[in-house]
Amino acid sequence: MEAGKGSADLEQEVLSQGLCTSCGACVNICPYIKVVRDKVAVIEPCGLTEGKCYDFCPRTPTDIAALDKSVFGKTRTDYSLGPYIFIEMAQARDSEVRCRAQYGGVVSALIKYALDTGEISNAVLTRPFDGVMMPASVLVAESSQSLECAGSNYISSATLAKMNEATKQGNDSLGLVGIPCQVLALRKMQAAKHETGAKGVKLVIGLFCTWALSYKGFSEFLKGKVDLSQVRRIDIPPPPANIMMVETAAGDIRLSLDEVRKFIKPACGVCYDMTSEFADISVGMVEGIGDWNTLIVRTPAGKRFIDKAKKAGVINTRLLEKTRLEHLRGASSIKKKRAVDAIQKRTNDKKNLLYLRLSAQEKKKFL
Amino acid sequence: MGTLELNQPGKTVLMMGDEAIARGAIEAGVDFCASYPGTPATEVPESLARVAERFNIYAEWSTNEIVAFEAATAASLAGLRALVAMKQNGVNVCADFLMTVNLAGTNGGLVLVAGDDPSAISSSNEQDSRNYARYADLPLLEPADFQEAKDMTKWAFEVSEKLGLPCILRSVTRLSHSRGNVKLGELPEKKRTAKFEGVYISGAFVAAQHAALHLKLEQVREDFEASQFNFYVGSKKAKFVIATCGSGWLYSREAVAALGLEGKVGILKIGTTWPLPEKFIIDHLKNVTEILVVEEVDPFLEQNIKILLAEQAKTLGPVEVYGAKSGHLPAYGELNQDKVAQALVSIKGLKTRARDEKYVEKAKELALAFIPPRMPTFCTGCPHRASLWAIKSALKLDGRDGFVTGDIGCYSIGAGPAGYFQLKTIHCMGGGIGLANGFGKLEQFAFNQPVIAVCGDSTFYHAAIPALINARVHNSNVLMVVLDNGGTAMTGFQPHPGSGFDALGRPAPTVEIENICRGIGVEVRIRDPFEISQAVQDLYDMLQEDGPRVMVFRRRCFRIEAKEKLQKKYYVDQAKCIGDDCGCARFCSRVFNCPGIIWDQEAQKAKIDEVVCTGCGVCATLCPGGAIVVRGAAS
Repeated sequence: MEAGKGSADLEQEVLSQGLCTSCGACVNICPYIKVVRDKVAVIEPCGLTEGKCYDFCPRTPTDIAALDKSVFGKTRTDYSLGPYIFIEMAQARDSEVRCRAQYGGVVSALIKYALDTGEISNAVLTRPFDGVMMPASVLVAESSQSLECAGSNYISSATLAKMNEATKQGNDSLGLVGIPCQVLALRKMQAAKHETGAKGVKLVIGLFCTWALSYKGFSEFLKGKVDLSQVRRIDIPPPPANIMMVETAAGDIRLSLDEVRKFIKPACGVCYDMTSEFADISVGMVEGIGDWNTLIVRTPAGKRFIDKAKKAGVINTRLLEKTRLEHLRGASSIKKKRAVDAIQKRTNDKKNLLYLRLSAQEKKKFL
Repeated sequence: MGTLELNQPGKTVLMMGDEAIARGAIEAGVDFCASYPGTPATEVPESLARVAERFNIYAEWSTNEIVAFEAATAASLAGLRALVAMKQNGVNVCADFLMTVNLAGTNGGLVLVAGDDPSAISSSNEQDSRNYARYADLPLLEPADFQEAKDMTKWAFEVSEKLGLPCILRSVTRLSHSRGNVKLGELPEKKRTAKFEGVYISGAFVAAQHAALHLKLEQVREDFEASQFNFYVGSKKAKFVIATCGSGWLYSREAVAALGLEGKVGILKIGTTWPLPEKFIIDHLKNVTEILVVEEVDPFLEQNIKILLAEQAKTLGPVEVYGAKSGHLPAYGELNQDKVAQALVSIKGLKTRARDEKYVEKAKELALAFIPPRMPTFCTGCPHRASLWAIKSALKLDGRDGFVTGDIGCYSIGAGPAGYFQLKTIHCMGGGIGLANGFGKLEQFAFNQPVIAVCGDSTFYHAAIPALINARVHNSNVLMVVLDNGGTAMTGFQPHPGSGFDALGRPAPTVEIENICRGIGVEVRIRDPFEISQAVQDLYDMLQEDGPRVMVFRRRCFRIEAKEKLQKKYYVDQAKCIGDDCGCARFCSRVFNCPGIIWDQEAQKAKIDEVVCTGCGVCATLCPGGAIVVRGAAS
């Protein structure tokens, strides 16, 4: 946390540098910062020199070790995957859930279960195909609604803006599903000296993420190829396919991943986190096994909840083979190295890592 | 019964200048009045509409000034007496028709009232419409007081009818909008019926028509020589004369009296300023060696008198002329008695002064002690405030340095703090979308800034449609935002083609803005600016598209809405507003800046000024603390 910085600094260091992830942490906490689609802007300078907006942002200085301590009570030993208690493969037992989900349906099943059992009163989720290509952040109270939020369309929405709206209305028992930048910002909010409703988020499920696409660029690109309102599912099959599959009511189309990559948000290039390292539970794909997920249980709260869900038969789990685990570690490390390289390229200074404050060990591993 | 209808010849009543003009038209038996509202001329047609049924007058608020003028000319061609009134800019809109109807001629009396607005008190420009009289070879009358406003108008119909030409009557804001004594004349029995006969074509024998027009002017000059509206006051032996017309007359008289110069300075007051009553003027200048010309705004009379003096150099000898050219009086802005007195003091090298030199400064200082300084702002509850906030937000979110071309209406003050400095250009009605048309075609020159053209609903009908068609045909990248508040709000909420009622308040068919847009073939969305998040999102989305697009921000003018039905009462929940601890940095009272929200110095919290708040509720949706709430609502 850096003292004495506010929205003007946020604008200068993050927004104008193309580093905004549009996570929404700075939105709906003041009247000056707004988000539309995946675009965030300071509409009018508020005139204050210090602001929560700056402190909450996942792209302002972030001390990884300090955040580890605040979330996990200790610093990490696994520098590739972050702190965790155990890692398994998992699958939703409900086949309907699995059928609608991107992979193994674990996230949808867990959220449904958390809502049904009163573990959380509401969940902040993302509905991927909201009539247009832009996903919508939604506050869900009924477990039946959570299934509408299964799947991904590779565009991120301002989930934390929705969370801020929800906590402002007094919600203090929330679940949240987010991508790494959103989870990071949420943890920064919870650790901040400021009074925020973020402490009301009790269950954080983080998704694996390699990058997100910019709404404007990608939807314009796609508009020329398919009727956007007909898109039902988007997926990237494992390498070496190098394609993006877009499934529509009128049939599937295959896009070259090289074409699609042109629309990756510049903010993703400097992202150091693939597996949502600060979540209670992280969930992602298992390369090559379409109907299972990788499940990383990180916090004691996450473990308690997963144990309960297993006992209740909500998910099946099995061992993640060592080779797969190493593969995951490798992928995460590559993302970290790429991020550090990209940052050094931006700053033109080996020591200036912009927002990243890394421990000596981490520096040794990734610099 | 109002003074307009009073049938008591000889009775003196108090009348606004515009009402006096309307009364003059009634005494002349006017049959037809078409106009487009514009300060300071609005109250002329408004007054006539008020008594339209009583005097069997047809009255309409036309779509724009040229349509109004053409419609009124039609009545004239059918033998009726017709009046059309407009502000100075409106005369420009009429100019094309004006420059042909002078050649083609008219039949029944046709009077064009040009309301000029010196100092642009409520205008986007300052303009002296008298130049049109000289330009179009048309007779011009300039009333100098309220009585003349009535009497001259009545006479203008006779002048027009006799010549077969429109007669221009020029007023200014101070005359149109202040009140004075008027002695009423008789109300006529009207028996005219309309019948069109003859041929009125400009373009058949143009040069011959033009020559005939000049003859007509010479003919009317003869009548002007004997006009009661031209007169001289002061000593016959005075060597120094003020030549003046219109509003200059009263300023001159007061200045001369204040300086005690009645014996030394004569005043030659001209009411018929084009063509000049040359013989009358020459007669009064025989012994004169110095002339000060007092008039608003251009040196119109000054130049014409100088020409006359040059022509009469042999008879009159050398005469010194003071006025705008000599720098003694400005050729811009309103005059007043002080300015005229100052000119006299300076020319005559007087030691006496009409007033303390510092009078104006002292008066200002004194006034400011009682009046808080205020920037021009939108009314409380004005939908334009929300619309401009939405525009500002969308442009900022878009991030490509987009900008707004402005237009003429209440929203013009959006160029200042009231509209968060969003309007970057303002010209004439329709100018905003016209400019945007051009900006939208600069792509090949690496231009990538989005352009929003704002336009009022009344302005849309008045002047924006051809430019929108142009944008469509040339696929110009322009987003037009129509700020639709349901009427011509700036001039007093006169109806327009979308309002659904006419000048007399009777139900009328409507022409919908969106249907026009769809007919042109442009995408149109309609949103309520008070639903500000949705408005911002839609505007942002439309900014991402190419080609012409129209967003209609539709929300009725809240001054009208608040009059018609009881509005919600808002207040600041003192427990929820945490003042400067909020981090919003007084957003509501400082940035959103509606005059209905004030900062309570004592409590150090925001507060709603219930006297001026109209209850629109937009601030409640923007307050981050949810502290602005409806009275009576469950918290």
